[in-house]
Amino acid sequence: MENSILLLPILIPLVVAGMVLVFLNDKFKLLNVIMFLTAIAANTAVAVLLFSAEMDYTLPWAGFGMDFALKVFKFNSFILLAITFFAVAVGLYSISFMWKKTGISQYLMYFLVTLGFVNGAVLADNLILLLFFWEGLLLPLFGFIVVGNKAAFKTAIKAFIIVGISDLCMMVGIGMTGFLADTLTLSEIHLPLSTMGSIAFVLLIIGATAKAGSMPFHSWIPDAAVDAPLPFMALLPASMEKLLGIYFLARIALDLYQLTPDSWLSTLLMILGGVTILLAVMMALVQKDYKKLLSYHAISQVGYMVLGIGTCVPAGIIGGVFHMLNHAMYKCALFFTAGAVEKQAGTTDLQKLGGLLRSMPITFGVFVIAAASISGVPPFNGFFSKELVYDGTFIRGQSNPVFFVFYAMALLGSFFTAASFLKLGHAVYIDSARVERKDIKDPDWWMLTPMVAIACICILFGVYNELPIKNFIEPVLMNVSGGGAGASAEVTEDTVHHGFSGWPSNWFLVLMTGIVIFGAIINHVFGVKKGGGSGLNAAEHIHYAPGLVQAYNAAEKRLFDPYDIGLSLTNVFARILYWFDRFIDWIYDKLAGEIADAVSLRLRLAHNGDYSLYIIWAIVGTVIVVLMIM
Amino acid sequence: MLSLLVLIPFVWLILLVLPAGNGVAFVRRVGFVGTVILSIIQMALVLIDPFTRWSLAPDFVTGMFKFALHADSLSTVVLLSIGLVVFTALFVGRYTLKNAVRFDQFVLLTVVVLMGMNATVLVTDMFSLYVFIELTAVASFMLIALNTDDKFGIEGSFKYLILSTVATVLMLSSIALMFLTTGDVKFDVVSVIAKHNDTAFYIKLATALFLCGTFIKAGVVPFHGWVPDAYSAAPSAVSVLLGGIVTKVAGVYVMIRLMTTVFGLTIFTHNVIMLFGTVSILVGAFAALGQNDMKRMLAYSSISQIGYIILGLGCGTPLAVAGAVFHFFNHAVFKSLLFVNSAAVEHELGNFDMSKMGGLSQKMPVTSFTNIVALLSTAGVPPLSGFWSKVIIIIALWLSGQKVYAGIAVIASVVTLAYFLLMQRKTFYGQLVPGMENVKEAGMDILIPEVVLTVIIIVTGILLPFVLNNFVLLTANLVR
Repeated sequence: MENSILLLPILIPLVVAGMVLVFLNDKFKLLNVIMFLTAIAANTAVAVLLFSAEMDYTLPWAGFGMDFALKVFKFNSFILLAITFFAVAVGLYSISFMWKKTGISQYLMYFLVTLGFVNGAVLADNLILLLFFWEGLLLPLFGFIVVGNKAAFKTAIKAFIIVGISDLCMMVGIGMTGFLADTLTLSEIHLPLSTMGSIAFVLLIIGATAKAGSMPFHSWIPDAAVDAPLPFMALLPASMEKLLGIYFLARIALDLYQLTPDSWLSTLLMILGGVTILLAVMMALVQKDYKKLLSYHAISQVGYMVLGIGTCVPAGIIGGVFHMLNHAMYKCALFFTAGAVEKQAGTTDLQKLGGLLRSMPITFGVFVIAAASISGVPPFNGFFSKELVYDGTFIRGQSNPVFFVFYAMALLGSFFTAASFLKLGHAVYIDSARVERKDIKDPDWWMLTPMVAIACICILFGVYNELPIKNFIEPVLMNVSGGGAGASAEVTEDTVHHGFSGWPSNWFLVLMTGIVIFGAIINHVFGVKKGGGSGLNAAEHIHYAPGLVQAYNAAEKRLFDPYDIGLSLTNVFARILYWFDRFIDWIYDKLAGEIADAVSLRLRLAHNGDYSLYIIWAIVGTVIVVLMIM
Repeated sequence: MLSLLVLIPFVWLILLVLPAGNGVAFVRRVGFVGTVILSIIQMALVLIDPFTRWSLAPDFVTGMFKFALHADSLSTVVLLSIGLVVFTALFVGRYTLKNAVRFDQFVLLTVVVLMGMNATVLVTDMFSLYVFIELTAVASFMLIALNTDDKFGIEGSFKYLILSTVATVLMLSSIALMFLTTGDVKFDVVSVIAKHNDTAFYIKLATALFLCGTFIKAGVVPFHGWVPDAYSAAPSAVSVLLGGIVTKVAGVYVMIRLMTTVFGLTIFTHNVIMLFGTVSILVGAFAALGQNDMKRMLAYSSISQIGYIILGLGCGTPLAVAGAVFHFFNHAVFKSLLFVNSAAVEHELGNFDMSKMGGLSQKMPVTSFTNIVALLSTAGVPPLSGFWSKVIIIIALWLSGQKVYAGIAVIASVVTLAYFLLMQRKTFYGQLVPGMENVKEAGMDILIPEVVLTVIIIVTGILLPFVLNNFVLLTANLVR
């Protein structure tokens, strides 16, 4: 295979996006859909071809070491394949979902741009190129949220700013990393964690985790869930951004800066992960909108991934990466079900839904599988990845008992996750019907196929989890950039071959998980009884628990939203700068303008048209010239 | 071969004049087309293979007329500019001069100007240079006063005539002095002697006088008095010709040729040229700021841009001279485009008063767009060609230590942008002035040169390395 094939995953989507841009009007939607499907198919072919390949391709680009360098090796070829898979699934789903809505052509174009840029970010081997693609994703992000819904501007701007700020941190981190390593080529950078290196590391972490959606850069996701077209949620926050963010996180922690279990940064990551898990899932529990609930869970599950990678032990890292893959799948499937409900029932407000078990059985089936996966019920895939993460925290806990608190946080998170999905499922499907529409059925096969396919894979990756773990993930640890890595994670051929697949080895963990799930079911039944028999109020007893109710009310008023806090702070700065700006304006407008006008007037009046005056000028000039030259 | 560039227009002129009387219609069609073809051939010759073609065949003219012709890298650029501007002026003339007789006279005089300018560029001795400068000037006087019933045209022509006479006196005296001291007028002979004795009294005096003569011709402050009046009073097609090429060849090219090849840039001439150049930049820019008459404003802007060219020349380093020559070409292109657009506007509206215009871009979108490209190039906005030439001049100034001049050049760019944006705003953007609903886009005759010039500006800007290596940097050899 020619090395320039590496350009294709980037070029194909972008070129077709350009063509769709030409035909942007919704009148051409059939043409756009066909072009879109062709691009996706071509991209899939290339990704499959590239799987497990090892090659690189460099083009000169902007000089100063900023080359257009692409590289594929085991880890990112796997990510590439995963991206492609989700592109196919979400693509098919989107076409059906968006077909009757306005803005489908724009949506497809943004989709393709996203795909091209995500491929580019994954394949990039040069820090600046990575940054270019990474930040470039801000544009389709903005565009997606605005498509078809003009009132969503505020949310789009919020998303842009939040992700933009985190990207800015990443930019600084990349600059520092490039400076420390004296090269910009990703595969060549292996730095120790000095002080400056730690700062750069933290900045990069901020960039990577924020992209994946962890706190505190998370507050745009629930808003986008309501305002943006639903398949966007399945595409970006659920799958692509997770893949990209966790991919980069793994590269940073394992490759660029070898993170050791005893460094404070590992603790930082674990704290970040744990806090994210808990806070987000508490918010998710009380939501009354299907999409918002799912989006808070998306944030929460990122916590597991970050926690896993932060443990810096092989079990935890593999767990984190596997969880990323699994989460992308079940979250995608869950959003698909939300979209199906929205399309068929017309709303996602829990108070207006119910009883869809009989009308949309297949959707309900997918929901059950995905909800079980996310709650960590065996034998679905979520169970196995969560067990690996627990294992990681447990191992850390064994060396330092304080770390058991992380295990506790993760476990508590599972409890609430299970509780909220029980509530959701009960309210939407099992409750008696509160819907207004009469003829609800399962969506058409365009939307159904991706849902069911993903659900099947959830089962597959659970039961036969050797497949993903051995083929996709363990090689990651061994060979992260093809140049040796994970040394700090004490990986040897031995540990890897001991295998992380199959049933978890630590029975204590499994027991605890079982207790947690059982506890969640009891909690749910209790809540239903207290709430009068409907799934809607299954979580109200937690919502209004003393101590928690104040926190929830404050959160309702957006007091905890970092974005809003930031906005009010900037208000003060804005005032100061406003007055400074008035002053500068005065200098430019009044002062400079009036001086220029005065000079101009004098000059213009001097040219009075009298040629004898002109001749005198010429003669005077001649005299000056002669005198100067002599 | 080189002499053909002079002879063919000459022969063509005779051919065109012959059927006078009954062949007016013939002249109008054939004359126009033929001259356009001539200008295109001239451009093509320069672009295809400037140098090898021109040393073909023995030059029988040398034997006959005792003046030798020679072309080098500077001539290449200037000949290309001449061809381009004549091409443009012809189209503008066809569009604006609807009176058949006038148009014939215009074509004939343009051929004379073409011949004169080609010869100016190619000759190698000072006296012939003077002869052809005068030839061009005489044709220009008549061109400016082409509309004989317009008193402003005659007034403008008269001022140009008078100041041109002063220039003639200065130039002739200088030639006489040089002849007296060196015994010859040929460039190569004179330059050897001049460069060896560059502090001799008569040589210095001759340099100073000739320099002043060319300053007048070029329109450098304070010798520029005729420029605003002549440019604004001339018919639009003539303004294109004048502003685009005549002042520049007769003034700037001659200055460059003499200062680099013949007299050489001594420490005295350096400072004089840079000082007057800077003053021109500033005076031109500020005077243009408040103008309401479109063509007068463009005239002041020309003064300002010529200031840039001679500022680069005065600096004297190879890079600066290369930048100056590049700006020469760019100025020919963008100034012609600006005059073409003003001709289009005037033809549709009937006047040049910008305070009475507004919102024309809705009716004349092509003209508006090409105007924006031209003014951005003049102000030096990347990636258009004007930016590159200005940047080269400024960098050359900085590198040779003339930081003050470099700073002034940069600041003047801001003022340039200011008055041009004001012009664009007043004429094209904003609300459509009531009473102008019937304005249509200019006809094909104007659109052709507009589009061609715009494309040239953009392409020269974007394909800069090609332009630099093949044309501009070669002229740096003039001062090495």
